[in-house]
Amino acid sequence: MKNGLALFLGVFATLALSWAGLLLTAHKQIGSLSQFKDPADETLYPQPLSGLANQGRLVYQDLGCVSCHTQQVRQQGFGNDLAEGRKWGERGSYARDYIRDETVLIGQNRIGPDLRNVGSRLGDAKAEEYAQWFYKLLYAPQSVAAGTNMPAHPFLFDVHPVAGRQPSPHALMLPSKFAPGPGREVVPTSRAIALVAYLQSLKDTYDYPIERSRNTPAPKEAGH
Amino acid sequence: MNPSANNRTEQMEIDASAKWPVLVFFAYGLGWLLLGGIMQLAAAMQLHSPGFLAGCEWTTHGRLAPAAQNALVYGWGMNAAFAFGLWLMARLSATTLRHGGWLFIAAKFWNTGVALGVGGILAGYSTSFELLEMPRFVSLLLLAAYALVGVWAITTFSIRNTENVYASQWYVFGAAFWFPWLYAIAQVMLFKAPVRGVLQPVVNAWYVHGLYNLWFVPMALAAAYYFLPKLLGKPVSNYYLASLAFWWLVVTSAFAGGSRLIGAPVPVWIPTMGIAANILVVVGVIIIAINLFGTLSGRFEAARSSLTLRFILISIVSFILAAVMNLALSMRGFAATVQFTLLDGLRDWLTFYACFSTAMFGAAYFILPRLTGKEWRSGALIKLHFGATALGVLLMVVGLTYAGWTQGNMLNNAAMPFTDITKAMSFWFAFRTVVLGLLLLGHVAFLLNFVWIACPINSQSTASATLRTPPALSLEGHA
Repeated sequence: MKNGLALFLGVFATLALSWAGLLLTAHKQIGSLSQFKDPADETLYPQPLSGLANQGRLVYQDLGCVSCHTQQVRQQGFGNDLAEGRKWGERGSYARDYIRDETVLIGQNRIGPDLRNVGSRLGDAKAEEYAQWFYKLLYAPQSVAAGTNMPAHPFLFDVHPVAGRQPSPHALMLPSKFAPGPGREVVPTSRAIALVAYLQSLKDTYDYPIERSRNTPAPKEAGH
Repeated sequence: MNPSANNRTEQMEIDASAKWPVLVFFAYGLGWLLLGGIMQLAAAMQLHSPGFLAGCEWTTHGRLAPAAQNALVYGWGMNAAFAFGLWLMARLSATTLRHGGWLFIAAKFWNTGVALGVGGILAGYSTSFELLEMPRFVSLLLLAAYALVGVWAITTFSIRNTENVYASQWYVFGAAFWFPWLYAIAQVMLFKAPVRGVLQPVVNAWYVHGLYNLWFVPMALAAAYYFLPKLLGKPVSNYYLASLAFWWLVVTSAFAGGSRLIGAPVPVWIPTMGIAANILVVVGVIIIAINLFGTLSGRFEAARSSLTLRFILISIVSFILAAVMNLALSMRGFAATVQFTLLDGLRDWLTFYACFSTAMFGAAYFILPRLTGKEWRSGALIKLHFGATALGVLLMVVGLTYAGWTQGNMLNNAAMPFTDITKAMSFWFAFRTVVLGLLLLGHVAFLLNFVWIACPINSQSTASATLRTPPALSLEGHA
């Protein structure tokens, strides 16, 4: 190869083709996915995040939660995300689930569990009780998940003496081992409240009829 | 004057013109290598000792880990690539590196940008997109600084005094264009006019794969194609295949980004195209292996006696391993097991550290004595650096492959509670910390030697006379 211009054109074409072939084509295909209106209850899905949850998304982003947590549930037949026991969702994630998110952080590390449906792992607990559980997890992870390697996030909480003021109704009920000591209480800051609201909003419970048919593998034909 | 002496004088002139820009970029790079390495080590420790540095918001794992990665990639990786790329371009174009003053300004701006970016991540302004975590305002600074570097690489190429264009030049030339395009497109599509929904991870995967395979890998291959024939005194074997390998590799790599999204909620043709591309990449890798190992064959002893070539050898082997890893992770059955584990991370580590960084170490051991006219101060430190690197790469590859496989099987075993996985992985997280510590030790050794050789104060430059001239070989005759 001697010709600088030919080299340049080749170099340019390489990236231009890959950009057009991958990004532009994908954009054309799913760049304008819209909400789906359920014919029965006339509601649009996915429902938009609440303002508070959207603030929480920013906290999630600035703390780098994506370093250890994914937000994508793999479809049946690929991995074991839906199996009883792991149960990271009722169904695999669809592209449409994500159009409500301003920043889409599907992640690539499962040092911690998947969080795409963490808001629906309530069990029988009420939303407030579940929020308490999240606060405890953030303040002192070992208090609710012994053996985890999740770091504590004490900076998301105010720890102050109770003396001389009304005890906060939002103070954490911590086992004495994790509590800051008598006469002091731990109260979530506004960032913790937003982050927990965001985590509680993470649930893809609605199953889109059009997506379901598209994402279910075709039944295997019986042998002839 | 005979032609080879003439050639030597010319090379010395070129080296003299490149001396300060190259030293400055390497100095910045090594600073970041050390700083990023320390942060990476701390972040790795947090995985098995979660209380470590957890109380402070700035050093929580979610910020420290990406800050470390950014410091290493944009601090060490880019600076080292600038230093090496500019020097190589000048040498192969047989022309001096001009306008060094602009390069100092570029170095200042680039490193100010990286410092602001890494600081921004630690302070909580991260965007959380892999390798694009730096706050948005930094991107313009980085692009402007890059333009100042890239323009001199291209200018040097365009005023070349050689008739032929050698393989290493294709790689450096291509990379010089690909990086700014990849970076600018990713910035526009993710932040300036963000695409919606899962297109964001698609853009991110395209960028990350491009950065590793169209910037760092070409730089490593440029080093391999340059140093092997030069230090062995033998032309690249089957050189006529090199241009085919170049185009094959870069075109297929450019399409392989989608393979990072296997199983992700994206249209299935995106990972499928990536898988097909990763399979095709193998052909390019095989041709490159024929070129490089063909050159090496019969000369292993000579290669072993050269420090530079020993590093380059690790780099070439890692390049092949990285391609194998990319291919393996493209196999759906394998990916279903090891996705999201330590093994997934090993692929990029192989490309960035084991392939690219080792090539830069090898290059630095060749370039710096020639630029400064001094010899490396301490043979023991060199041995320590090489030993730590070789052992570190081996341990990392073997250890994390096993660890990732185990982790993947546990993650897919739905009956196993998550905290049990964490407990079982604790050993491997600690293992990773130890290996990163070992590598960091090697970096410290390298830095000490570098400070000695680059520092203008101790001018005991008796060594230039003992500098071994590589066997005479004109690289021009190849193409």
